[in-house]
Amino acid sequence: MKILIADDSRVMRQIVTRTLRQAGFDGHDLVEAADGQEAFDKTVSEKPDLVLSDWNMPHMTGVEVLRQLRANGVQVPFGFVTSESTPEMKQAAEDAGALFLVTKPFTADTFRDALDPILG
Amino acid sequence: MTANPTEDDLRVIAEQVWSSYLDTDGASPLLPFPAQQRRDDVSASVSVTGAWRGHVVVSCSDTASRNAAAALLGIEHDDVTDDDVTDALGELANIIGGNVKSLLPEPCALSLPHVLMEKTAGRYPSVTEVCSLNGTWLDESVTVSVLESTADFAGVSAP
Repeated sequence: MKILIADDSRVMRQIVTRTLRQAGFDGHDLVEAADGQEAFDKTVSEKPDLVLSDWNMPHMTGVEVLRQLRANGVQVPFGFVTSESTPEMKQAAEDAGALFLVTKPFTADTFRDALDPILG
Repeated sequence: MTANPTEDDLRVIAEQVWSSYLDTDGASPLLPFPAQQRRDDVSASVSVTGAWRGHVVVSCSDTASRNAAAALLGIEHDDVTDDDVTDALGELANIIGGNVKSLLPEPCALSLPHVLMEKTAGRYPSVTEVCSLNGTWLDESVTVSVLESTADFAGVSAP
């Protein structure tokens, strides 16, 4: 499978990559995006099977990326990996069509629980 | 109205961050007492706006910042660049700030991180310190502070 990791922090993209491996999800084709606009563009051009996206990013927030993807008919499975998780954000994520919202800091177990239904 | 975050809240958040990313084997936790010498060589902050306004600031010694970048990136301390430090400390401020925000009244918005590597904790006009955690990590100084703005929307100090 191809997985797009969208986060404006290179450190966090690396941590997500490492945690995927620690959770047993290695061997997937990983693509990275460093801001919201790049996340949208690469989701359209690279056609990943899953998007793991930060919420707070330059140019477009993660939920704006998701809404724009859905508005353009792109139904890729989409989950958030974010430092914030208020009830309002969880509701906004769900309303936009996100499958899950993982809160930073996360562990390999957290990833396993969220991603097993998709990658397992 | 949500109560302001406390030092205990910061300690719980920091423990989660350290156990997840900076102390995964449990050998080098953030100790909840001040280092022998507090240093603010590198300082990263995120701002909160909305129903609550202020800043969450993470500051530490140069050595601690490089230790953090090395741990987060999984590289050797000597291979850490200034860009690595900026990214790592900014992400630490983002994670800690995001968790602090969950304790604050809604609605609030979190800014992108801002990092200073100029041996200063930065200047935050018209704020009061709500709580702080003065910690020691690998014998180096690490401080997390929550600063609430005392200025109104026009930037004038509240009476």
